[in-house]
Amino acid sequence: MGKVAVLTNDLQYDLVNKNEERIRAIEEATPSFSRFLNEIRRRGHHVLHLQLVNLPDDPIAERYEGRLPAQRGTQGVEILPVFLDESDILVEKNKDSGFFETDLHERLQSLGVDTVIVTGMQGQICVQTTAADAFFRGYNVWVPSDCVVSARDKDRIRALDWLDGYCATVAESDEILRTLDVEGGLPRKVFVTP
Amino acid sequence: MDGNRVLTGTRSFAGRQIVLDHGTGARLSRELVEYVVAVLGDVYIGQMEDSAVLSVAAGQLAMTTDSFVVDPPFFGNGDVGKIAVCGTVNDLAVIGATPKYLTLGMIIEAGLPVAALTRVLESIRETARQAGVLIVAGDTKVVRPGEADQIYLNTTGIGVFERTPLRMTDVRAGDQIVLSGPIGNHTVHLLSVREGLGFESRVSSDCAPLNGLITEAFESVEDGAVRSVRDVTRGGLAAVLHEYAKALGAGLRIDEQALPVDPEVKMACDMLGIDPLNTANEGCVCLFLDPGAVERVLAALHSHPYGRRAVVVGEVADDTESAVRMRDRDGHIRILEELQGAELPRLC
Repeated sequence: MGKVAVLTNDLQYDLVNKNEERIRAIEEATPSFSRFLNEIRRRGHHVLHLQLVNLPDDPIAERYEGRLPAQRGTQGVEILPVFLDESDILVEKNKDSGFFETDLHERLQSLGVDTVIVTGMQGQICVQTTAADAFFRGYNVWVPSDCVVSARDKDRIRALDWLDGYCATVAESDEILRTLDVEGGLPRKVFVTP
Repeated sequence: MDGNRVLTGTRSFAGRQIVLDHGTGARLSRELVEYVVAVLGDVYIGQMEDSAVLSVAAGQLAMTTDSFVVDPPFFGNGDVGKIAVCGTVNDLAVIGATPKYLTLGMIIEAGLPVAALTRVLESIRETARQAGVLIVAGDTKVVRPGEADQIYLNTTGIGVFERTPLRMTDVRAGDQIVLSGPIGNHTVHLLSVREGLGFESRVSSDCAPLNGLITEAFESVEDGAVRSVRDVTRGGLAAVLHEYAKALGAGLRIDEQALPVDPEVKMACDMLGIDPLNTANEGCVCLFLDPGAVERVLAALHSHPYGRRAVVVGEVADDTESAVRMRDRDGHIRILEELQGAELPRLC
């Protein structure tokens, strides 16, 4: 089996602090999420943080009350320390999918990774698009349901249903760790195209 | 026009950007026009007079115009230039006309790299060649940065009739509704390029000039058997169906199971919370056919590169209720409501 890597999405000050709902959702997820990342590191797997960096000339980038969040060189673009370790790899992205116009695929290939565990915020769009993009590129995709965060839980649940139906194996983080330990890897789910 | 001067102008444009002075009517404006003409090559037959003078046979003409404000203007397998030719060519073709001439209006944002303009012009040239149309007149305007998004285009098209013009009201009860190809690809591709959704390499825009395909359909059956054709663009198939239902004062029935929707498009639409029926396309037409002509038209469509996946998706009902009904995958029939406005993607 190839190697496993965890991809996190958008665990950054500006993006988490956008509103109370996001802050609360991250706080609730943090214990199991950070424990999962630590366990993954302890088993020798890679953690890559997909760091959204908004470009000032991007007219599509969402503004928060007129302010462009997560700009390069600001404190708001930084990953929250609770999720970060010095062994982790940062990959800058400028759009929703972590693969879009980045070298993420090349990095994963050079690390020998064939299985990605996609996590982060928000479950809808950023986790979904990165997972779909990984699936299209041939990766075996897993998603720990307790390491996916949305401001509204109904969006998270809807995203997890979508991921489970189209491109990923969705399971609790503890179950993923158990499977890794027992099987030495994560089995690939077969998706049947209608 | 002096060929040497054009060549000199072409060279001097390399690596430059469009500036406001390219739109002032002075020397730089002339150089821009000369550059445009040089890149368009043999598809441009304008004489640089104030109007084009065209020879056409006596009879009816078809004429249409459309403006193209595409976000993003450049995408994986095309750009606004390709869409600007296809959109107008297809509008002429679906009414039964043979597209002949286009005009080309360009509103360019100052700062646009000449390389980007060249890409658009080359797309226009290649697509016009494919469609068999000539560009007979044009206009360029340059606006300040921020007043436009890179480049906006307008094309006006003229077509001639080699058959009776088609009318929506010729459609009858029992007519079969055929789609020439899958729906949703253009919307998913553009949204994916715009937002970085990860589908852009799996789903391409369907943008294509369909006049050749439509001609094949006409020529496969007797005059009148192709009752009406409509290109499935903004508003999607749902808008087309509602338009016909209202114009005809009759109901339309479609079968969800029969709709050609690629798995990746369904996947993206489910993620975004949009219905493929409402998505814009740039290379798909909806044909209303005499039931006795369906097999022959489908065979003709299937033999054309842009019609390989043509399929019957429904029929015109024998009733007077102007409603569109869809049989879903479970066999349930529901009324397809008309959208009040844009169905916005659910983005984070």
